Amino acid sequence: MTALLALVRKELLSLFALPTAYLTLTMVALVTALIFFDHLRIYNQTLFLYATTTMGGFSTDEIPDYINLWDAVFFPVMETLGLTLIGAVPLVTMRVFAEERSRGTDELLVTTGLTPTTIVVGKFAVTFLFVTLMMGVSFVYPATAIARGGLGIEHLAAVFVGLTLYSIALASIGLVCSAFASSQLVAAVSAWAVAFVFWDFAWVYPFVSEGVAGFLDAISLHLRYGSFAEGIVSLSNIVYFGGVVLVAVAAARFSFDLRRVGA
Amino acid sequence: MSETRGHAANEPRPRGVRVEARDLTRRFGEHVALDGLSLAIEPGEAFGLLGANGAGKTTFIRMVTGCLLPSDGTVTVDGVSPSASPSAVQALLGFVMETCRLYPELRVRSFLRFIGGARGLAGARLATAVDRAIERFRLEGAATRPIGNLSKGFQQRVSLAQAFLHDPPLVIVDEPTGGLDPLQQTEVQEILRELRGRRTLILCTHDLHEAESLASRVAVLRQGRLVAVGNAKDVLSEGEALDLFRDSAEVGA
Repeated sequence: MTALLALVRKELLSLFALPTAYLTLTMVALVTALIFFDHLRIYNQTLFLYATTTMGGFSTDEIPDYINLWDAVFFPVMETLGLTLIGAVPLVTMRVFAEERSRGTDELLVTTGLTPTTIVVGKFAVTFLFVTLMMGVSFVYPATAIARGGLGIEHLAAVFVGLTLYSIALASIGLVCSAFASSQLVAAVSAWAVAFVFWDFAWVYPFVSEGVAGFLDAISLHLRYGSFAEGIVSLSNIVYFGGVVLVAVAAARFSFDLRRVGA
Repeated sequence: MSETRGHAANEPRPRGVRVEARDLTRRFGEHVALDGLSLAIEPGEAFGLLGANGAGKTTFIRMVTGCLLPSDGTVTVDGVSPSASPSAVQALLGFVMETCRLYPELRVRSFLRFIGGARGLAGARLATAVDRAIERFRLEGAATRPIGNLSKGFQQRVSLAQAFLHDPPLVIVDEPTGGLDPLQQTEVQEILRELRGRRTLILCTHDLHEAESLASRVAVLRQGRLVAVGNAKDVLSEGEALDLFRDSAEVGA
């Protein structure tokens, strides 16, 4: 445990010593804020126009159900946040393993007696902590929409759990790419590619059978993420995101064995 | 891969440990980096490993440290195989890598605290070990500075400090003076001279004078093969090592 804590402390120091961490946090917060306030502005304008043009005066008492905060603000913000995290998380994960290799410090780490499992667990833990912080910085916007929409604490909790699991799954994909990539650039590009492919398979459906489409639905990040957005916390979704993390940890651990073999 | 630790990280071993290689071979595809190397390095010995770039020195070291698996043959440290129990072997050794592979963004004290923690040191023992290392390697003035802002000579001192932090019975130093100016080279050599004797020291270098002044025994590698081994003064004074070294360089090994 001492060794793991030492590694976690070192990873945190390294992470926050670099501008990338602050830039990525700022970028995600800004993009989400812009999208939130832009959609809120459009929603308010729609309300105003509807009230003034159809009812002859400013009153929102008879606004139809299809003009609501939920569809006008919350869903677009969640969608944008999901895509923004796909763009931002690889910027954080790309350096985690690939930079150690490019500097040659991977062997320093190993020869200090840290086991590969400790290294992988420590690096994953710190990255998860950071992406949760990144998500948390932006969570205020969907949370505001939920609160103003009167959806309650359960829905808020479901969205928070979903966003956290989704961010961690994205980080896991990025970390695996970093563990096998020859450079940070390759790690980032491959993480973006994998995450975008897994985001939504709808574009493939015209070319595949119904069975294959069903399978692709089951592994789609977008659908799992979307069900949390609707306030549904299902066991299958938790297992899915947990599975992504476990496979990633095992794969990153395996990358150490490959290097010992000299592959 | 076993991940159990063998000896305690700071278990005192005043006489060092024995390192033995038997028919050690490492291939990378068709290329044979190390070819049937057999040698024994005795406890407490300062042993120089000589050879041109590509002769197989670093490959040998990477197998001793458990970072690379042999294709054939065995290597043991204190009777333990790094292939089977890498963490047990890594607990016994300190490793100074070629060209100061450190974390430039970390401050010297934070870096040493990290290495100590990774070695299992905590609390007062960690603080004492870090303070002692800073004093021993004359890093007082640099302790709060980022490693990346230090000169190469100071970075090499930091690299040495982390290797000796837990007072290991085996220290492996790969090209300790590569890229340093003459003054920095002398400083690093003086530090190594002070620290040898109480542990096994493997010095990997292509500097014949450095090997002669620091090692009691040397081995010369050429194209992955052991071509000479013996008392440092005997091997190096005869000029054979230089010839072997030169031949090695000429064939581009």
